[in-house]
Amino acid sequence: MPFETVLGAWVATGLTLFIFTFLYQDNPLFKLAEHLYVGVSVGYTIVKVYDTVIVRLLYEPMVKQGDWSLLIPLGIGMLMLARYVPKIAWLSRIAFAFIVGVGSGLAIPRVISSYILKQVEDTVRPLVSLASEGGPTFTYNLLDPASNLNALVLLIGVVSVLFYFFFSVEHTGPVRVAARTGILFLMIAFGAAFGYTVMARMSLLIGRFTDLIEFADPRYGRASLWLLVATVATLIVSSARRREQPPGGG
Amino acid sequence: MIYLRRQLPLLITFVMGVVFAGQYYVPHPRSELMLTEVTKWLQIIGGFALVLGVTSLFHLHAVKIRRREPGWGYSIVLYAGMLGTIAIGLWVNGKESVNGAMTAFGWIYSNMMVPLQGTMFAILAFFIASAAYRSFRARSREAALLLIAAIIVMMGRVPLGEMLLPVSGDLTQWILNVLNTSVRRAILIGVSLGAVALSLKIIFGIERAYLGGGRE
Amino acid sequence: MTFAERMLHIDRRIIFLVIAVCTLLPLLYPVGLAIKVSPEVRGVHDYLESLPEGSVFLLSMDFDPASKPELHPQAVALLRHAFKKNLRVIGMTLWVTGTGLADLVFSQVAQEMGKVNGKDYAFLGWSPGVGALIITMGQDLYKAFPSDYYNQPTRELAVLKGIQSLRDVNYVVSLAAGTAGIESWYVFGKDKYKFELGGGCTGVIAPGLYPLLRSGQINGLIGGLRGAAEYEALIGRKGRAVAGMDAQSATHFAIIMLVILCNVFYLFTRTSRGQSGQPRG
Repeated sequence: MPFETVLGAWVATGLTLFIFTFLYQDNPLFKLAEHLYVGVSVGYTIVKVYDTVIVRLLYEPMVKQGDWSLLIPLGIGMLMLARYVPKIAWLSRIAFAFIVGVGSGLAIPRVISSYILKQVEDTVRPLVSLASEGGPTFTYNLLDPASNLNALVLLIGVVSVLFYFFFSVEHTGPVRVAARTGILFLMIAFGAAFGYTVMARMSLLIGRFTDLIEFADPRYGRASLWLLVATVATLIVSSARRREQPPGGG
Repeated sequence: MIYLRRQLPLLITFVMGVVFAGQYYVPHPRSELMLTEVTKWLQIIGGFALVLGVTSLFHLHAVKIRRREPGWGYSIVLYAGMLGTIAIGLWVNGKESVNGAMTAFGWIYSNMMVPLQGTMFAILAFFIASAAYRSFRARSREAALLLIAAIIVMMGRVPLGEMLLPVSGDLTQWILNVLNTSVRRAILIGVSLGAVALSLKIIFGIERAYLGGGRE
Repeated sequence: MTFAERMLHIDRRIIFLVIAVCTLLPLLYPVGLAIKVSPEVRGVHDYLESLPEGSVFLLSMDFDPASKPELHPQAVALLRHAFKKNLRVIGMTLWVTGTGLADLVFSQVAQEMGKVNGKDYAFLGWSPGVGALIITMGQDLYKAFPSDYYNQPTRELAVLKGIQSLRDVNYVVSLAAGTAGIESWYVFGKDKYKFELGGGCTGVIAPGLYPLLRSGQINGLIGGLRGAAEYEALIGRKGRAVAGMDAQSATHFAIIMLVILCNVFYLFTRTSRGQSGQPRG
């Protein structure tokens, strides 16, 4: 196995374990990894912006294809960076005004079409369907999301939740019934969201543990095992030192 | 000068907002050409905005180092990580791989950034378990309903749960497809109405917070 | 302090240990429980399967390393399926910090399936702007990406021959870890440019995407690691997602047990407080 791959495995394992030490208590190993993470992420983003925006979107089209109209966005982008110079910081407002103005204009019709009209359209479906003989029928299959019963439940859910959130009248009488129904729907949806969040977080842990197991292989010099021992030893020494220090010291 | 500093940005927002909201309904070739050009500009300006966002960290940590505040050593680690990544990234022209071979920049990404960010989020698995044990209690009927729904979904989305309680899979599907959808749809409609209202307030100069600081 | 109260206040590190053991053991000693495929995942798979050879498939990997364990297996499975079907594949990402992952997935799977960059697939990399980028792609792909990730002019790539904008793309799948993903592809893309759209996402955002699925705005949804495992089962190439399903089962059951225990202890403390006349907590 190439040296850089093995070295990479050791570095990745070490940093993974450093972050995991936070589960025991906050400590210098975690802080080191945390700050390194922020630094590397910011550095990475800056390099990608340079490569993509400056080189691929500005320099090459301007110099190789002669598209000098790109000086306009370059100018507006530079205005944005004027925020760093207090005397001319107000110039950045022009850039923000451009972005926010175009962004709002683009968003309004698209959001109305995609999220409001399409969602309302799918909510107000016919509650009774036509059977093959031509007469009206009502389908009860709960497992079919398109059944009439589910269409009715969905309609009740959407209306009652909207009632609960948006009607600022006092919740009494029929409004109270609607709002209470809305709360029940909300609770079930929050429960489902919690279940899915648990699923997501556990998947992330599985991913990291899978890597650690892979790096415990002799091909990688058993990086996970050696570094686990070293990290635990460091934590023990660090805890012992902390206990030795008088309260308030350091 | 006051006009340039205060009124001009509001005028630009208004004109741009009205023009590009209207453009959606005017699919004339010239109107489409304008859309292509301006969204391309917006794409480029978005890159500058990203730099502006991430570099706000510089100042914070520079002050920490200058004043030798507690933990300033970690700020040096942050700077070293950032400058090292930038130097190596620029050296290899910002590419993680060339002809299928990983570059030094790609090595930093794969062996430092990926495990660091991945683990930072993976430890949340432990905290969500701890929080579930400490606070997920059936104190009321509503809380009990939330709890039951969560348990059904947790069972219905894993093979062991579907094996032990086969109905949990179908129940999960129903909860997600019907009950969850109705709530999410109501929220989506509400949030979208709010977003449209906010966009209109921005275009008409009622909402000005985005103009931020800088001297008048 | 009663036994129940003591149990309610146990050191959280014991809970951490339980979760760690429940994750580690099934990974070391897998059982291989059967995986049932949901209609949402089948929606994406069947549409991709129905595309004729040479159709254009755009995979947007809109995530970063934080969501790698959930979305990386989805990307691998989708790419294997698309390459096996001999589709023309375009790759990209809306997330700057996801560029490296997307590049790695594309080059590894392409190499494994014997596909050539520029001829069988194109990797466009990242570009800023999200909504603006998608609109520009819908108007003119070559304006949005004058060159690909490797700085080759996109107009000269054989794989992009005949493609002018998103209107010429047959199927777009966004693997999303946030709003800059499936939702953006619908609002700024499909709404106007009318391509077919499918999605893959993390477990956290999956419930929020069901309204789009039900209204037909997306034709399928691969949710989290479980969704990836279903897709792997569908294409008959078991990978990391299927391998992780036993651990997923074990950890879910650990959490369910913790929640049940917590409520049992809570009930005990309430009963004992009620009997001793203390106010209920």
